[in-house]
Amino acid sequence: MSRALGRQLGYGARRVRELLERRAVLVTGKGGVGKTTFAASLAHLAARTGKRVLVAELSYEPQATSPLAGALAIPRLGEDPVQVAPNLRAVLLTPTAGHARFLRATLPLGRLADAALKTAAVRRFLLAAPALAEMGILYRLLDLAKARRRDGSPEHELIVVDLPATGHALGLTQVPATILEIVRAGPIASAVREGLSLLRDPVATTCVVVTLPETLPVSEAAELIQGLARQQVPFAGVVLNRVPADPFEPPERAAIDALVLGKSLLGARTLPRIDRARAAAARLTELGYPVASVGEVADAGVLAPLLAQRLGEFH
Amino acid sequence: MSEPFLDSILRTRKVLVCCGAGGVGKTTSAAALGLAAARVGRRVLVLTIDPARRLGEALGLPESGPTPARVPGGFALDAWMLDPQVVFEGMVRRLTSDPERLQRILSNRLYRALSTLVTGMQEYTAAEALYTFVESGDYDLVVLDTPPSRNALEFLEAPRKLSLFLDERIVGVFLPGDGAGILAKRARQFVAGIFERVFGEGFFSDLQEFLGAFSGMFTAMRAHSQAMRALLTGPESAFVVITSPDPSALEEARFLQKHLGEMGLPFSGFVLNRSWAYTRGLGDPEAIALPDDAPAALRSGLRKLVGLAAAERELARRDRALLDELSARGAPATATPHLGGAIESFEGLVALAESFLIRGRVPDVFPPAP
Repeated sequence: MSRALGRQLGYGARRVRELLERRAVLVTGKGGVGKTTFAASLAHLAARTGKRVLVAELSYEPQATSPLAGALAIPRLGEDPVQVAPNLRAVLLTPTAGHARFLRATLPLGRLADAALKTAAVRRFLLAAPALAEMGILYRLLDLAKARRRDGSPEHELIVVDLPATGHALGLTQVPATILEIVRAGPIASAVREGLSLLRDPVATTCVVVTLPETLPVSEAAELIQGLARQQVPFAGVVLNRVPADPFEPPERAAIDALVLGKSLLGARTLPRIDRARAAAARLTELGYPVASVGEVADAGVLAPLLAQRLGEFH
Repeated sequence: MSEPFLDSILRTRKVLVCCGAGGVGKTTSAAALGLAAARVGRRVLVLTIDPARRLGEALGLPESGPTPARVPGGFALDAWMLDPQVVFEGMVRRLTSDPERLQRILSNRLYRALSTLVTGMQEYTAAEALYTFVESGDYDLVVLDTPPSRNALEFLEAPRKLSLFLDERIVGVFLPGDGAGILAKRARQFVAGIFERVFGEGFFSDLQEFLGAFSGMFTAMRAHSQAMRALLTGPESAFVVITSPDPSALEEARFLQKHLGEMGLPFSGFVLNRSWAYTRGLGDPEAIALPDDAPAALRSGLRKLVGLAAAERELARRDRALLDELSARGAPATATPHLGGAIESFEGLVALAESFLIRGRVPDVFPPAP
C-alpha cells in the first residue's frame, strides 16, 4: 500500500514506511514551499493505513489564520484535538495550552495552578519571555505524545507537526538548549530535557525538509539540514515540491535548444526551469540527502486527495 | 492591470516595509526596491533579518558585519543583515550610562539567553534597528525586509509585547524592595513561590537581578516603541505586500492587507512576484514552419514546446486575472517581470529594480492571449 505513495514521492516504499513508523514526523522548510500541504497529505495517508494520527500546527496566538485548517479543508483548529477524518485528528499547539498543563502538572494543587495563571504577572511573563512561549509549545507536544488510552496504547500513534518557516523552525529546535542554559534545575528543566530527548530520539522522531527545485531554496534547505544536525534532530530526507515535468527525450531537447537559440518564444521560459529543477535534485543527492520529488500537482492543495485516491486504488 | 505605484514611494517616503509570506522573494524584492531608490539618487539602507542570509548573496556583499556595509555599484546603497545580539547590546549601551550597571546587565545569564535567542528577539531588534536608522538621519529611505514569521507583522507587535512584559506594575511584583504595603509583598511572595517551584532554585533571584538592572531602561524603551509606532503609522512610511501566485501566499497577502488596515498602518499596494503575466515580445512556437526534411526529434520536440507554450499562456491568463483581482481590492498591484534563474545574479536585481521605476517600464498593455 505504501508503494503507491513511494512511487508518487520517488521514495522507496521502505522509506515511506519508515516515516509512518515514527511517533513524530516534523515537517519543515521555508514558507511557501507547500510544507503544510505535505504535512496534511502525510497525515491523511498515515490515517488510512489504520494508525491513529494527530496533525499539529504551531500557533503563538489562537486567532491567527491557520494554513493547516485550509489544507485539511476544515473551518478552524482548536487547542484541543478535533476529529478531521477517520483516525485523523488535528490540533493547534499554543504556548498557553502548554503553560496551563505544565503548571497543573507541576504545582501541588490544581487551584494553585489556576491562581498562578490568573496572576497577570505570571501569565504575561510566560507569554512575553521569548523562550518560554516555545517551551509551552514543546510541553504541549510532549503532553499529546504521552497521552495514553485505557489499554495503555498511545492516544496518537503518529504526530505530524507542521513547523513554522525555516528561521523559526530552527528556533524551536534550539529553544530547549537555550532554556537549559537559563533554567538548570526544577520541573521546567526536566520537562525540557524530556522534550529534547523526544526531539533527538532517532527511533521516535524524524524531520522532513520540504523545498522547491530552484537554486536558492535548495541552498536554504541544505543550511536548514545542517542546522538540524547541529541540534541533533534526526533527518529523513528532502521533499522537492512542484518539480516541473520534463516532456523531452534527449534528442528532442537538443533539437529544441538549437531551435530557440536567439529567439524569444513562448514555452521556452519553461526550459531553464526544467534544467534548474534537475540541477537542484542532483545537488541534493550529491550532498548525500535522500530526495523525493513531487510534481506540480501539489500546487493547488490537491496533493492530499490525490495521494489518498492513489492509495485507495491499492486497497 | 499592473500599475507602477512604487515609483513615487521610492522617491519620497522615509520607510518602506516589505511584508509577505515566506518564499515569495521578499528579501530579493526588498534589495531591488532599495537599489531602485538608490538609482534615483536617494541614500538608502536595506535591512533584513533573514537568518538564511540571502540578501548579502543577492547584493554581492561579504558576510554580515556589525554595521551596515556599502553595496558595490557606485550608489548610496547600504545593506545590513541584522544581528539581533548587536542591536540589543547597542540599545542596552545607549540606554545605560552607569558602566557598573552596564556590566551587570551584560553578564546576567538571563540577558545572555534573551539576546541570543532567534525567536522573538529577532522581531524586537528589527523594530529597534529600523527606528534607530531612520532617526540617525544618515539615510533618506530605510527598506525593511520583515522577518520570516508566519504572521509577518509580528515585528510590530514585538515592542508592544516587550513593553507588556516590562510594564512597571508587573515588574514591580518581581523587584525586591520595600514595595507598597502588605498586598504587594504578598503578591511577590506568591509569585516567588511559584517561580522557585517551577523554574527551580535560584531562578527568581536571577530574574530579580536582571529586572533590577534593567528597570532604569524600561521608560526609555516604552517611549521608543511609541515613537516607532507614530513613525510607522505616519505619512512618511509605506507598507507593501509581496506575494507570488501561489494560493497560500495570496491568502497571506489578503490577510496582511486587512491586518495592516486594522492596525492603522499605511498599506500602499501589492507586488506580484514569480508571475508569468508578461508575454510581450514572445513569439508563438505554433507559427514555426519546419522544412519538410526536418528531423523527427525536432518535429516531436516542437510539438512538446507548443504544449509548454499553451501551459505558459494559461499561467499568463491566471496571473493577469490575479492582478485585476488584487487591484479590485482598493490598492494598486504591480507584477515583476519574469526573470527566471537570472534573479539570482546582480544583473537580475538591476532589472527588477528598474521595473519598479516608471522610466524603466515598457508600456503596460498586455497583448491578448491567442
